Amino acid sequence: MFAHALALVTALLLVGHGPDRAWAGAPTDQLKAQIDRTVKILEDPELKKPGRQRDRRTAVRQVANEIFDFSETAKRSLARHWAARSQAEREEFVQLFGDLLERSYISKIELYGGEKIKFVGETTEPDGAIVRTRLVTRQDTEIPIDYRMHARGDKWLVYDVLIEGVSLISNYRTQFNKIITTSSYQELVKKMKSKQEEFIQEEKRTSQR
Amino acid sequence: MDRTRVNIAVGIFVILGVVALGYLSVQLGQVSFLGSRGYAVTVDFPSVGGLKAGSAVEIAGVEIGRVESIGLADYQARVTLRVRSGIKLQEDAIASIKTKGLIGEKYIRISPGGSDKIIQPNGRIREVEAPVDFEELLSKYIFGKV
Repeated sequence: MFAHALALVTALLLVGHGPDRAWAGAPTDQLKAQIDRTVKILEDPELKKPGRQRDRRTAVRQVANEIFDFSETAKRSLARHWAARSQAEREEFVQLFGDLLERSYISKIELYGGEKIKFVGETTEPDGAIVRTRLVTRQDTEIPIDYRMHARGDKWLVYDVLIEGVSLISNYRTQFNKIITTSSYQELVKKMKSKQEEFIQEEKRTSQR
Repeated sequence: MDRTRVNIAVGIFVILGVVALGYLSVQLGQVSFLGSRGYAVTVDFPSVGGLKAGSAVEIAGVEIGRVESIGLADYQARVTLRVRSGIKLQEDAIASIKTKGLIGEKYIRISPGGSDKIIQPNGRIREVEAPVDFEELLSKYIFGKV
């Protein structure tokens, strides 16, 4: 009887506290599932056909939206300038930041050509996890890529990516801070918007060809 | 009578010299013997590559503290920083090990975050960036191609 009560209490505690050490492995599993999905999309011969680049990119972005916490990444990148923003400004910024990441990374991911991803380890803490992976290129060079994740409900979401130990957030934080302190937040938003428009124009031109 | 005066003068000079020497060694050795001021924060790095106890901790190029000690914890480098009191570090601040110039000394750069949560004394900075190992990078991208 006592043992049952104890088991119940432990189970309740675990539920109450959300993911913790007892569920170690969950971040890796969830990340792996999404990476496998992405690789499948990229290797899909149907989507590789010319003219379907847009569909392919949308599909990748959808997966990315599920595993990445773009709003957290945007918030941390803006750092102390985030607090001064209104709700509407924050929403707009998260959207622009998502577009920026899509421009710079999702378009690169299309160059994918059979590189392998090795999962080498995971560190779980009460309020976060680091999943360590290695990207093995075709030349057999290993590039360490670490994902920093945090739990939102029962889902683990990535908020920072470290390539060769260099953090994505740190990179953007320095750049944003520089632009905001030397000119203004409005200037930053203007810059990001015009870059995005350029990109859309460019994309239209290539798809018309 | 005259002799005693000379003796006293020489004595004072010797004492002054010793005091100056002591001051100099404390300054150069960066010893804080009035007890350490500020609060301690720990950071775990995968590697510290050349960082030493006494290295500077900077925000925007301004020194806000020093590295107090470096130890090993679970095969990672655990660095204890002594941060000036009055400097608040947010929970999402990032600590990176940087090099002054191309081949200069190593220091820790903290880029302040935007979180409302402040790291308490004896707390930990979770977000870190290890120093980039240029030799390793070079060999990877120069010799990596077979």
